[in-house]
Amino acid sequence: MTERARARRPSSALVLWGSVALFAVLFALLTYQLSAASAPAPQSVLVRKVIKRRVVTTVVPTPGASTVTSGPVTTSSASAVSAAGAAPVTTSAS
Amino acid sequence: MTMGEHDITFDAMGSHVRLLIGEPGPGMDPAPAAAERAREFIVAFDAALSRFKPDSELSALNADPRECVPASELLRAAVKAGLAAAERSGGLVDPTLADEIESAGYVASRAGVPGAPLGVALGEAPPRHPASPNPAARWRRFEVDDEAGTIFRPPGVRFDTGGTGKGLAADLVAAQLRGYSRLIVDCGGDIRIGGADALVHPYEVHVEHPLTGECAHVLRLGTGGVATSGLNVRIWRDADGRYAHHLLDPATGEPAWTGLVGATALGDTAVEAETLSKAALLSGPKGGREVLAERGGFLIHDSGRIEAVGPLSVGRLRVRIPDIPVAGSRG
Repeated sequence: MTERARARRPSSALVLWGSVALFAVLFALLTYQLSAASAPAPQSVLVRKVIKRRVVTTVVPTPGASTVTSGPVTTSSASAVSAAGAAPVTTSAS
Repeated sequence: MTMGEHDITFDAMGSHVRLLIGEPGPGMDPAPAAAERAREFIVAFDAALSRFKPDSELSALNADPRECVPASELLRAAVKAGLAAAERSGGLVDPTLADEIESAGYVASRAGVPGAPLGVALGEAPPRHPASPNPAARWRRFEVDDEAGTIFRPPGVRFDTGGTGKGLAADLVAAQLRGYSRLIVDCGGDIRIGGADALVHPYEVHVEHPLTGECAHVLRLGTGGVATSGLNVRIWRDADGRYAHHLLDPATGEPAWTGLVGATALGDTAVEAETLSKAALLSGPKGGREVLAERGGFLIHDSGRIEAVGPLSVGRLRVRIPDIPVAGSRG
């Protein structure tokens, strides 16, 4: 008798339907909780409009002179200033 | 230079000075009148602050036996600029080397005197090494009291505004010209740029190579300052036949041979640019890169090689101005 009782196992159909039933119950519970939850209160959002000002200065390498070069640079370039007939503004040792 | 810009050039402070002034703002004088006022200011600036003029206010200060000397607003501003440069450079740009520069042979103005050949001088110069601050830091003993209108310092310690004077003059003139559409003040290569229109249409500034005299680069600048320090102009043979120049190593009081013949620096102001260019040259190649790293500039090595540093090394300089929140709203 004891041997037979220990060997008895639930039928596969019972396990299957039990699992489905448990899933359905949990699913229904979660669905109810979600639907019953109140919508979040509108939150204030601070919007900061930021203007980024950038002054862009470009370096115009003269013909034949790269930014890093070997040996004395012997080239010069025409500029808008000289093209206008006036001497270019020059920074130099004084 | 754009159409309608007034352009004048004259000699002052031992250098060429050039002013480019654009259109005046409402109620302001025409550019020629403003340029003439600026010229008069620079001439007066030179008369008051030249160490070569025995009747200048600077010479009077240096000769005064008192510790506390009454000083004009202009002289106080010049001394403050020199002290700020010393502070900024950690003492490398030392304004108290008047005795040393005269011992090196720079006693009178060298305006119009051609410099000795730099290439030859480099061949005879001693081994290169970076300059160092003078441990005595005599400049720290100067105090400027604007309320009392005085300068306090130990008698006998002479001040030389040569390190920052041209930059200060450029900045002061630029401040006087505020309101003109665009302007450039060039005091012997120490340059200040201003005006709203210059931000839109930047000036082209040529960087002169100290060995060749040619244009090495062209900078497009819409604001701020740029300055160049170099060995090529004020260089001579001293009484012993050695080559000397005007950029001294504060630690030794001797001309500094650091491996650089020139340095060009950018800054918010001409004084800042001038300070950085001198500090970079005195620091030598390695230290010069650190000096110019933030603002950008060029180092010109003894070999003639030009090295772009900091923002200029990537070919484009971006100057960030702090972000300005202009509106806030709730939604």
